[in-house]
Amino acid sequence: MINYARKILKWSIGIIIVAIFALLYRINDPDRSNYFPKCPFYKLTGYKCPGCGSQRAIHHLLNAEFCQAFKENALLVISIPYLLTGFTFDLIKNPGERMLKWRKALFGKKAIYIILSLIIAFWILRNIPYFQHLL
Amino acid sequence: METTSNQTPPKTWLVESILVTLFCCLPFGIAGIVNAAKVESKFNAGDIDGANKASADAKKWTTIGFWGGIAVAVIYIIIGLIIGFDKLR
Repeated sequence: MINYARKILKWSIGIIIVAIFALLYRINDPDRSNYFPKCPFYKLTGYKCPGCGSQRAIHHLLNAEFCQAFKENALLVISIPYLLTGFTFDLIKNPGERMLKWRKALFGKKAIYIILSLIIAFWILRNIPYFQHLL
Repeated sequence: METTSNQTPPKTWLVESILVTLFCCLPFGIAGIVNAAKVESKFNAGDIDGANKASADAKKWTTIGFWGGIAVAVIYIIIGLIIGFDKLR
């Protein structure tokens, strides 16, 4: 009983925190406000990291401006459906054989290496002048 | 000989690692993803102890990345409050 109550409390607090942040990011454009933390990597090196633009992208996503969100951080927008799928797979306690097969295909070793390569390629490409406007 | 083909591997922390990479601007997320791959490969090879250890490592790096990101945000806000946010632009 106490365990359940604790779980419900934990999830409720989590949902409230996410809702507050969603509201903050929907109302404020991190590009125009001074209050949003800047990327330390960009500040120090002048190069974008794979996560640069994700705060602005979230702002645009929450306002249903998908094109702008894609321009700020394409990788973030693309990864959302994948992350939601992964989160759902994590919640399944006793997956069947078919589920395990899907898990292995989507989140197995090969998939992880592909993701890692994608992130690093994105990181390099978005700092090359010709691609800068695309990524 | 233990088979692992019909079991669930230990938690790889992949989703959390990707989130840390995209939001905390820190290389710790990448370390988490590398360890996620290690969990999978060790588990596939039947090395359950090794997979559990890699899972613990993945958790460690993602947690460090998560709190590191929060720490950066808190430090930013403290500096902003002291010297003024308009000077941080």
